[in-house]
Amino acid sequence: MTEGSPRTVTVAKQRFELRREQVERAMRGVLPEPISSHYVTIGPRRYPPKQVIGLLTGLDRADFTSHQARRILMGLGFPAGRLMPVAVQRSDEEQPGMPPPVVGIADNRKRELVETLRALIGQWVAVKDDELLVAASTPREVVGWLAQHDRRADSMFRVPEDQLASSGLAPL
Amino acid sequence: MEGLELAPQACLLDSGASAVRMGVHVAELIGLDLEDASRMSLAVGGALVTGRSAEVTLEVSGQGSSHRWSAPVWFCDPWHPAFGLLGLTGFFDQFEITLAAYEEWVELRPLLH
Repeated sequence: MTEGSPRTVTVAKQRFELRREQVERAMRGVLPEPISSHYVTIGPRRYPPKQVIGLLTGLDRADFTSHQARRILMGLGFPAGRLMPVAVQRSDEEQPGMPPPVVGIADNRKRELVETLRALIGQWVAVKDDELLVAASTPREVVGWLAQHDRRADSMFRVPEDQLASSGLAPL
Repeated sequence: MEGLELAPQACLLDSGASAVRMGVHVAELIGLDLEDASRMSLAVGGALVTGRSAEVTLEVSGQGSSHRWSAPVWFCDPWHPAFGLLGLTGFFDQFEITLAAYEEWVELRPLLH
């Protein structure tokens, strides 16, 4: 298989040649660190851009900016994005004695999460505020990541393969 | 689940399950020793599994409130569902439950035993 042509980039006054495939290989099996704002999508996972460039170049992360890292990775063809703020809309029609119905928790966030999870079937994931925190092959890795980064999820589960698995039924 | 506060387990409300069932991996994550636990062959979602029971503290939270209680949980091996199953003993016998599936909300009112 042929690899794409390399891109020469300069980071912290040093030149590096990077290929898209090289980045994908390097990040395979690397769990993403918590994302505070910007991210790039590599395979099924989202990474903080500085984590990726730091790992690829070996440079200290203080030597380059998140914006630089993001621009380099976008130049290699990786999609980038930004976390959306959490927004909870409540119905105006609350009734006495009834719990306040939540009519939509940032629908875009939910849709985005569903799309992200589609690529993670069979993986264990932790989710908070409709954002994927981490995805890994084992539940132990997920819990280890949460402990390491001092994060608390809203929920943890295995992304179901199909309707059957999500209903609690065993495979036929 | 007590000992796993960082990673609350997603569960299905399953009135067809006679008790609370989870994968044995959950017991491993909280360091629960099931060596001497009572053991039983169970049918879960159409599959036969081995369940081992232990009393654990569970917590449910949402909308700014939470409730903790103690219940027997059957930790099952193998485990096929994507989530834990909250069944009659240990969950449905702890709450008065209103389920509004169309509006996608559920209300749990703890029962005073």
